[in-house]
Amino acid sequence: MAVIEVEHLHKVFRIPHERRNTLFATLTGLLRPPVYETFHALKDISLSIEGGEMLGIIGQNGSGKSTLLKILARILVSTSGTVRIKKRITPFLELGVGFNQDFTAAENIRIYGIIMGLSPREIDDKMDFILEFADLQKFRDTKIRNFSSGMQVRLAFSTAIQTNPQILLLDEVLAVGDIDFQKKCYEVINTFKNEGVTIVFVSHDLAAIQQHCPRTLLLHHGEKVMVGDSEDVIAKYESIS
Amino acid sequence: MRIQHIRELYDYRNLIWVLAWVDFKQRYKNSVLGYFWSLLEPLLMLAVLYIVFSNLMKVQVEYYQLFLLQGIIMWSFFTRSTSASLLAIVGKPQLVKKVYFPRDILVISSCITALLMSIFESIVFLAFLLYFRLPLSLNIFYLPVILFLFFLIALGTSLVLAALNVYYRDIQYIWAVILQIGFFATPVVFPLSVFPQYLQQILSKNPIAQVIYLARDVTLYSKVPGLDQLAYVIFIAIVILGIGYAIFTRLEPRFAEEL
Repeated sequence: MAVIEVEHLHKVFRIPHERRNTLFATLTGLLRPPVYETFHALKDISLSIEGGEMLGIIGQNGSGKSTLLKILARILVSTSGTVRIKKRITPFLELGVGFNQDFTAAENIRIYGIIMGLSPREIDDKMDFILEFADLQKFRDTKIRNFSSGMQVRLAFSTAIQTNPQILLLDEVLAVGDIDFQKKCYEVINTFKNEGVTIVFVSHDLAAIQQHCPRTLLLHHGEKVMVGDSEDVIAKYESIS
Repeated sequence: MRIQHIRELYDYRNLIWVLAWVDFKQRYKNSVLGYFWSLLEPLLMLAVLYIVFSNLMKVQVEYYQLFLLQGIIMWSFFTRSTSASLLAIVGKPQLVKKVYFPRDILVISSCITALLMSIFESIVFLAFLLYFRLPLSLNIFYLPVILFLFFLIALGTSLVLAALNVYYRDIQYIWAVILQIGFFATPVVFPLSVFPQYLQQILSKNPIAQVIYLARDVTLYSKVPGLDQLAYVIFIAIVILGIGYAIFTRLEPRFAEEL
C-alpha cells in the first residue's frame, strides 16, 4: 500500500529582484511594479512510496531534494499538484531545532522532545536512555552552551529517535557526528526499517544510499530523471554530473 | 477558526506551554535579581508615575495607588504580548523552516509568556490590596472573565502583527510608536475625564480603555460591570480575534519561504 502519493507536483519560488520587506519600501515602490524572477524548484514530480520501504533521493545541490522533503513535511506549500500522506510523518530535516544554549542537557531534551511530538511523560520515562545513547550521562545538568557541536547533534538525534515515527524524512542529518556515532545511527535506522517504518532518505553519500535503499529517486534541476533500482540510478547520476 | 483547529491546538498543548515557559524562564536567567525584576519593574514605574501625577498634576481618584498599579499591569500585558508576538515568527526561523506545527502556536505562546509575567506582577498588586484593606465584593469574580476577553483582544492583535511583520519588518517600529500614543489614549495613569468632552467620546471607543475600566470597577470600586460595556468588549474581542485569524491564515503558508 502506498503511504505517500505525489502527483504532478510543482513548486515555483518567486525571487524579487529588489527585496521589499518594509512597509515603507512597499509604499514608495507602488508606482514601479515589482520585478520577479521565478525559480522552478520542482517540475511535475509524480511519485509513490510504499509502506515500509526505504527510498533514497539523490541529486546535485539545488536539484530540489530538500524542497520535496519540506513539502512532504508540510513546511512548504506546493504551487500545484497533490500530495497524499496516509500516516504520521516525522521530519528530521535538521537536528536540534529549538535547542537553547542557556539550558541544560536535560531541559533541552524536554523542550526538543516536545517539539518532536513526544509527551512529557514519555520524555521522563526515556530521559536516562536518551542520555545514555548520546553518551552524555555525565553532562545531564550542564548547559549545552559548553557542548561541542558533535555532542549537541548526538543529544538531538538520541531525543529525536524516541518519537516512534511511521514515516521518517531524513535530510542529510547523519553526515555530522563521528564514525562511531554514525554507525549507531544506521543501526537505529535499520531497526526502524525492520519495524516497518517508511523512510525517505536524502543523501550525498552514495555508498550509504546503495547499502540501505533498494529504490532511489534521482532529481536533476527539479525534474524526476529516474526512479528505480539504486544501482542503476546511481550509475545514471554519475553519468549526468 | 474552526473547531478542528481548536482540536489541533489542544493536541499541541504541551508545545504551546513549553515554548511559553522557555521564554519566561529565559527572560530572567541571566539577571542577578532574577524573578524579582518583574516585581521591581512595576513598583518603580508606580513610584515615578505616582509622584508625578498625584503631586504635580493633582489627579483626584479614589484609591489612586491601586488605580495606577492595576492600569500599569494591564497595559504592560498588552504591550508585552503584542511586542513579543511581533518577533514570534521572525525571531524563530529555525522552528518555522524545519519543523511543522500550526504557526499560531508561536503567537499564542508569546501571549502566554506575557500573561505569566503579568500574573507574577500581580503579586505586588495583591500585596497593595491587603495593605490598603480594600473592601472587596463578590463582583471580583467578574475579573477572570474580563481578563480572558482582554487576552483574546491581545491575541487577535498579536496574530495580525506577527504575520505582517514577516513581510514588512518596519511594522515593529510603527507599532512601538502606536503603543506610545496608546499609553496616553488609555486610562492607565489618569481617568479619561481629564480630556475635553469630544475627545472622551472618541477615546471611550478604545476597547482596552473599556477593559481597564471594567477591571477597575469590579476590583477597586465593588461595582457590577456595565452590561453595555461588557457587551461592547465581547463584541470587539470576537471581531479582533476573527480578523487576526483571517489575516494570519492567509499569510501563514508562505512564512517558511519569506524568512
